[in-house]
Amino acid sequence: MRTRSFVKLVAAVGSGAVLLAGCAGGDSGGSSGDAKVIKIGTLHPLSGANAGDGTQLENGVKLGIKAINDAGGIKALGGAKLELDGGDTKGTPDTGQSEAQRLVGDGVVALVGTYQSAVSANVAAVAERNKVPFVMDISGDDAILSHGYKYSFRMQPQNSRFGTTAAQYVKAISEAANRPVTKVAYLHEATAFGTGVYQAFKAEAQKSGLQMGPEITYDAASVSDLTTQIAQVKASGANVLVVSGYYRDGVLAAKAIQTVKPALDAVVGAADGAFDQPQFPTDAGSASQGYFDVNYHFDDKSADAKAFSALYKSTYKDEARTGAALAYDSVRVIAAALEKAGSTDASKVRDAIAQTSLTPLTLSDGPIKFSDKGENSTSLPVLTQVQNGAPVVVYPQSAAVKSPVYPANPGQ
Amino acid sequence: MTGPTNAGGTVPSKDGTALRGGSRATSRLSLRHSTPLIVTGALLVVLFIAALLRSGSMGITGQALLTGIISGGVYSLLAMGLTLVFGVLDIVNFAHGAFLAVGLYITYEVAHQAGLNPYIALPVAILGLFVLGVLIQLLLLNRTMGGTLERQLLITLGLSLLISNVLLLAFGGDPLSANLKSDPGVHVFGAVANLSRVIALGGALVLAVLVFLLLERTSFGRAIRAVAASRQGAGLVGIDVRLVYAVTFGLGTACAGAAGMLIAPFTTITPTAGDQFNILAFVVVVMGGLGNVMGAVISGVIVGLVEQLGGVAIAGQSPLLGVFILFLLILLIRPQGIFGAASS
Amino acid sequence: MTITTETRPGSAAVRNRRQSIQRSVVILVVITVLAAFAPALLPESSQTIAVRVLIFAIMAIGWNLMSGYGGMFSFGHAAFFGIGAYTDVYLLEHFGWSPWISLVVGAMLAALVAICIGYLAFRYKLRSAYFALATFAFAEMLRLLATNTSWVNGTTGFHVPLLPDNSWSMLQFAANAPQYYYIGLALVVICLLITMFYLRSRTGIHTVAVRDNEDAADALGVNVMRVKLTTMALSAAITSVAGMFYAQYFMFVDPDIAFGQAQSVQAIAPAVIGGVATLWGPLVGALILGPLSDLTAGWLRNPPAFLEFLSGRGGLDVVLYSILLIVIALVLPKGIVGSIRDWWKRR
Repeated sequence: MRTRSFVKLVAAVGSGAVLLAGCAGGDSGGSSGDAKVIKIGTLHPLSGANAGDGTQLENGVKLGIKAINDAGGIKALGGAKLELDGGDTKGTPDTGQSEAQRLVGDGVVALVGTYQSAVSANVAAVAERNKVPFVMDISGDDAILSHGYKYSFRMQPQNSRFGTTAAQYVKAISEAANRPVTKVAYLHEATAFGTGVYQAFKAEAQKSGLQMGPEITYDAASVSDLTTQIAQVKASGANVLVVSGYYRDGVLAAKAIQTVKPALDAVVGAADGAFDQPQFPTDAGSASQGYFDVNYHFDDKSADAKAFSALYKSTYKDEARTGAALAYDSVRVIAAALEKAGSTDASKVRDAIAQTSLTPLTLSDGPIKFSDKGENSTSLPVLTQVQNGAPVVVYPQSAAVKSPVYPANPGQ
Repeated sequence: MTGPTNAGGTVPSKDGTALRGGSRATSRLSLRHSTPLIVTGALLVVLFIAALLRSGSMGITGQALLTGIISGGVYSLLAMGLTLVFGVLDIVNFAHGAFLAVGLYITYEVAHQAGLNPYIALPVAILGLFVLGVLIQLLLLNRTMGGTLERQLLITLGLSLLISNVLLLAFGGDPLSANLKSDPGVHVFGAVANLSRVIALGGALVLAVLVFLLLERTSFGRAIRAVAASRQGAGLVGIDVRLVYAVTFGLGTACAGAAGMLIAPFTTITPTAGDQFNILAFVVVVMGGLGNVMGAVISGVIVGLVEQLGGVAIAGQSPLLGVFILFLLILLIRPQGIFGAASS
Repeated sequence: MTITTETRPGSAAVRNRRQSIQRSVVILVVITVLAAFAPALLPESSQTIAVRVLIFAIMAIGWNLMSGYGGMFSFGHAAFFGIGAYTDVYLLEHFGWSPWISLVVGAMLAALVAICIGYLAFRYKLRSAYFALATFAFAEMLRLLATNTSWVNGTTGFHVPLLPDNSWSMLQFAANAPQYYYIGLALVVICLLITMFYLRSRTGIHTVAVRDNEDAADALGVNVMRVKLTTMALSAAITSVAGMFYAQYFMFVDPDIAFGQAQSVQAIAPAVIGGVATLWGPLVGALILGPLSDLTAGWLRNPPAFLEFLSGRGGLDVVLYSILLIVIALVLPKGIVGSIRDWWKRR
């Protein structure tokens, strides 16, 4: 009797082990011998709180792969086709890591992802240890690339650059309009993202002689009302408000500004997740009018970018956001590297990515070029403004499609 | 059973002793009874003065006061349904935020597909969520009644995951909105709040009065309170316990539906939009006392005030820290909540 | 189980106890030997999942000791997990200490915090849902404190720096090295052994007695507070080991990962699925829950034809996952091991 219950237990545990074994089965019958299909792994949050953005990025990758394949695949490898091997990070670092390991085990030639910096930090370590190139479409935290990783590259500008450029742009457009900035109030969410951008802004502001007012922080995960914070802005007498936050809190800020009506010349987002988004004017209504944001953005003058937006819209029945273009370009970077390396060998692909020179769909200072740390050194944050219900690029002049309206008198 | 203990819409807890083992000594209305109120009041006064000193502006502090009361109304809205379910069914319902999200999407559908004012969605959201809640209780949770805490926790967490991902499948993850055509500011002593938020606070009060009346003045309310006090006893006197459970859970989810509708005009609608309120709603429920609807309203406002005044008064730390410290203090001093009836 | 039969020396109960512990040890040895072959059978890329199973198992063993055997329902085990993880990364970054030392320091710290929380909670006689909410509040407070405290890097958290070579003393190996799995397995075995022997010790027996009838145990002279605090401290120490191992394996810790609500749930879920207050429940539950989300994601990566209209939308696999979770919890009210045991007894 005792032995029988024992057998049962072993059986229970054993069946669990079989279950475990089954999970990684699938199609691990490697494609190593057959160079006709090259897998690219993606890691995006397709469920959880960031599923909307994750889906945009995933779609960008899909369109990128389709574009390369339609143009004849990787010619240096006999027209080999790219194939998507998709992973859902669910927005958590440990799922990101297990998915990354799975993709590496599947034999992907490179990874693209991940939208959240905490997840990217994990995946970058996985990529480094497995020697698989990792191209970050979106993930802003400076710290990810501060460990000397060789296999990780970043398409978007790192967070600190948004802060620095935001300070420069604010100074430039206010002086051009002859409405000098008396004082800058800064509202930001309290995690590494908001704090990092704020510190870079403050450093640049002190260098260029912008007067800094109060720093007001909030918890983006729990905040449901920003009226008190905006009242603090109003009381400070600042005439420019800079905001760094995510989408939901950006909408809250805009609505609070319209209600409290502080006397502001401008509200400027520094890498804000809301103010440059096409749906922001819909969700915030008239409160969105005149809002600036310093962020990465489509190159509206480029025919390729226009074609991409149109293709995205016809394929997915949705407005493409700039992130989708970054994901699309990530695939192009990998494809170009494969072409150049003439091999799927990871270290050769990695070296070829490091020497990328490719015109992106986003506004830049020239072709994509990675620094030694893996930062895209030509990426260029630009200034957008909501005009007539849509965000448009207004500065710097080389990239602008409209001129900035300053003072913008937001929320009036 | 309709003794003096349940003035204030309190559902008597069936495990009065479980709240505090051997609590015979504290049953009388003594100094300890009012200690939580004093602690809370003192904390609020201290925070108010600190906020005033740190901001140096009555304008900001006044705004924090008003915003605290208004956003406290939102917490009360959520806590109301939760406190019913917790108090009567003894279920720690972690799917409550997900039900709120369903209310948000119903409002979105009505406002956009039908092109109507979002407030038209209120009866739809209440009715829809009531039916959903009754069904879930009858088909799913009824099998776990009287089960262990951890099992119900797992099931409601699974339910929450299920609902938010079904919403994700149906609507996608992109944020949606159900704004009012115009949402002007309402000015009170120099402070200001959006009309939609003021309406939400008003809605919370009306809803609380309605639930209170239902519990205290109707025969069904009496049945609910009887079941809450003793399941066996209620069954013996001929009350259909199953039905009471189902309707109570339905009432709880209907409250979540109403809350979802009322906050929709100033909330970004996503499948996980309700999750951020889950934790605070529980804090409010416990502070207000289990099953105490009026207590939930008042402690919702207290949590809102601590959060807002704390945000102005204390730099560098999350205002939620103050909320949790207060929560723990109240748990330790008086687990029945500030307004809970003295256990017998 | 009643105290009178269990504590009387020289009785048949002691003999039974000795036999049952022998049986448990034999089972454990067999499981360990079987599990030792897993790396040879599993594809390399599933190692993360295997390690996740082991981490889940450690957390659930810790939780089960306090909440299953001890009856003190904790919804804040993230606090102890996080203390283990943060102790490890902090001592590593600032002093270069070996994770093995941090394991001991973290376990002691976690035990200390548990004793403080427990003392407050028991002093004021918090029970069931109230005790759970109190532990939850403590975990949340630690998360908020870590988020806003600059000397633990605030929201940025910590990275474990990569080493050029394998190192046993620093507990770091090449990616996918089988050492991670074996170390995790060893930790699970040790935690199970500790649980077994603790439950057979005088304090362990008193723990269960206090759970079953506190007043009776008190009347029989059991120091209830001391017993409860000891159990809680041991449970916290075990869970902190999972935190240390997590930090070393995933090499990144931030306040949400360490102290978030999700970790508390991950300590509870495997024990509930496997069987609360059963020795093997946490292990069985971890074996099922660890790979489950990857399994559902794998099954639905290319959804079947009748769900084709949903392709391109996320969430389908999570829907399946949550349905399975609910069904298991509904169908097996006492968990897998508990249900098997009941069925066995009934025969």
